[in-house]
Amino acid sequence: MFKRISQLSFIIGLFFVIVSLILIGGYFFLDALKYRVNLYSGLCFLLFGVFMVMLKTGERDA
Amino acid sequence: MKLTVADYLIIILYFAFVVGVGFIIKKRIKSSKDFLSSGKNIPLWITSLAFISANLGAQEVLGMVASGAKYGIMTVHFYWVGAIFAMVFLGVFMMPFYYGSHARSVPEYLLLRFDEKTRALNAVTFAVMTVFSSGISLFALAKLLEIVLGWDFDVSIWIAAGIVLVYTFLGGLTSAVYNEVLQFFLIVLGLSPLVIIALQDAGGWENIKANLQPELTHAWKYMGHADTNPMGINFMSLIFGLGFVMSFGYWCTDFLVVQRAMIAKNMNAAQRTPILAAMPKMLMPLIVVLPGVIAIALSQPALQDRGYHIPIDSAGNMDYTMTLPSLLSHYYPSGLLGVGITALLASFMSGMAGNVTAFNAVFTFDIYQSYFVKNRSDKHYLRVGKLVTVFGILFSIGTAYIATSFNNINDFLQLVFSFVNGPLFATFLLGMFWKRTSPDGAFWGLLCGSIAAAITHGCTVAEGKGGWITEWYTISSGMGQAFIVAAVSWIANFIVTILVSLITKPKPDAELKGLVYSLTVKPVYVGSKWYQQIAPIGLLLIIITIILNLIFF
Repeated sequence: MFKRISQLSFIIGLFFVIVSLILIGGYFFLDALKYRVNLYSGLCFLLFGVFMVMLKTGERDA
Repeated sequence: MKLTVADYLIIILYFAFVVGVGFIIKKRIKSSKDFLSSGKNIPLWITSLAFISANLGAQEVLGMVASGAKYGIMTVHFYWVGAIFAMVFLGVFMMPFYYGSHARSVPEYLLLRFDEKTRALNAVTFAVMTVFSSGISLFALAKLLEIVLGWDFDVSIWIAAGIVLVYTFLGGLTSAVYNEVLQFFLIVLGLSPLVIIALQDAGGWENIKANLQPELTHAWKYMGHADTNPMGINFMSLIFGLGFVMSFGYWCTDFLVVQRAMIAKNMNAAQRTPILAAMPKMLMPLIVVLPGVIAIALSQPALQDRGYHIPIDSAGNMDYTMTLPSLLSHYYPSGLLGVGITALLASFMSGMAGNVTAFNAVFTFDIYQSYFVKNRSDKHYLRVGKLVTVFGILFSIGTAYIATSFNNINDFLQLVFSFVNGPLFATFLLGMFWKRTSPDGAFWGLLCGSIAAAITHGCTVAEGKGGWITEWYTISSGMGQAFIVAAVSWIANFIVTILVSLITKPKPDAELKGLVYSLTVKPVYVGSKWYQQIAPIGLLLIIITIILNLIFF
């Protein structure tokens, strides 16, 4: 797990997972973010983020 | 445009990640090669995405949306006439020379193929260009944040420059490349919802076509004569000026993008880098041209009830440059707006970091190590490379402030690009494919090409620019003028290089092995899988590009 943190695919995936959680969480818990486009975009970002986190690219560790 | 806490959270998260990448990469930096040329160990998917991302700077993202609004679907010619063909050509024909010669930079290839003076001319002009280009990105970023978000101009400049400095200083080229890939995904995913929402609001593509003048929705149909299309050029000028000279000049010789392919793990990966990059590049008009076309359609009287209009500047004209920010502001709610603004920040920072890392390598290898301090330890050049990063950023800040004093400095910069990149492709074409091309021929051809570009600009006028020698010929758009300037400079370079080469001494064949097509063993990938073959995939991409041109004819 620690090794994966230094891989770019993991970093990109993690970034989009966190952004998606802000959008999805905001949709459910904050009035200012209660727009369907936030929810749909958040779900797409989450799918992409999880895919990148799981992806094995054969990349060298740092 | 007002941002909420969630928007700021996304922006801060992005800043934290790009700086974090710098710290992670820092552990890999052991030598000047690691810092300045990534030690040639970057995977193919990363070099390919970095290859197109290095070109996704301020001018590309804001500029192409603006051009989409101004010139309509014709803007796709930058991709489907220009970029794709040039990228395939680079991968199939030119990468074997760049990679096989073991040159660390494009100017260093010129040294190996020709001589010191040609390398020096290219290195110095390229270094100056990159610093100015980086500064313009920084200026545009700060200006945008000032206008759109009301942020302080000085604070924006120093924070953005500081962040780019941290990650390029820590991780050098690798860090810049890794962040470019993150920035690529952010730009694509951050702007995709905008295209979907705006397209739906405009009633779909058919409704856009119904509400726009036909010359804005056809790529080729109105190119027969210069007066019948918004770009003001005919198809011959387009194909030669943009499709051949400008695009090949940029994609095949500009070290900023070629550097991304030169750091690949091996020859096959280096050749496949621009070819794989051409696949997403082919679809980029969906993200950066289509929003502009949608915006101009929404600004038509029939769609005014949608409530969107392209902003108007102080002179009462449409401010096309602000098309993308205004679309983001109109369609994105809080949350997604943070993602959109972060995508814009990413494009500006990507453009700046790309220029700084290219400047680093060229200054350290081709100027400092070649002319000032030779034969020192690798640690010395690593220290110099890091120091040059700091100075490169400081110069960029300086040029960003210079840009505040001259409201036409970006036009000036674009002009300098066409002076330098346009003729340079003739030098490479002759140098790589005609072994008789002599070092003197290359130098004088390059110089005369640039002078011819300046004279052409001085004798033509477009949108009030140029004509500083005499107003001999008027062109209806600045873009058309750039194509013609580039075309003339290329022809001048091509002719002068041939003439001078015929009366001066060429390099002996023994010194040209691996540098000239006829004297180089071509890489053969026997038994490779189909996707590792270079030419067939290149051909397939060209066929798809031709089909796209026919669809939007």
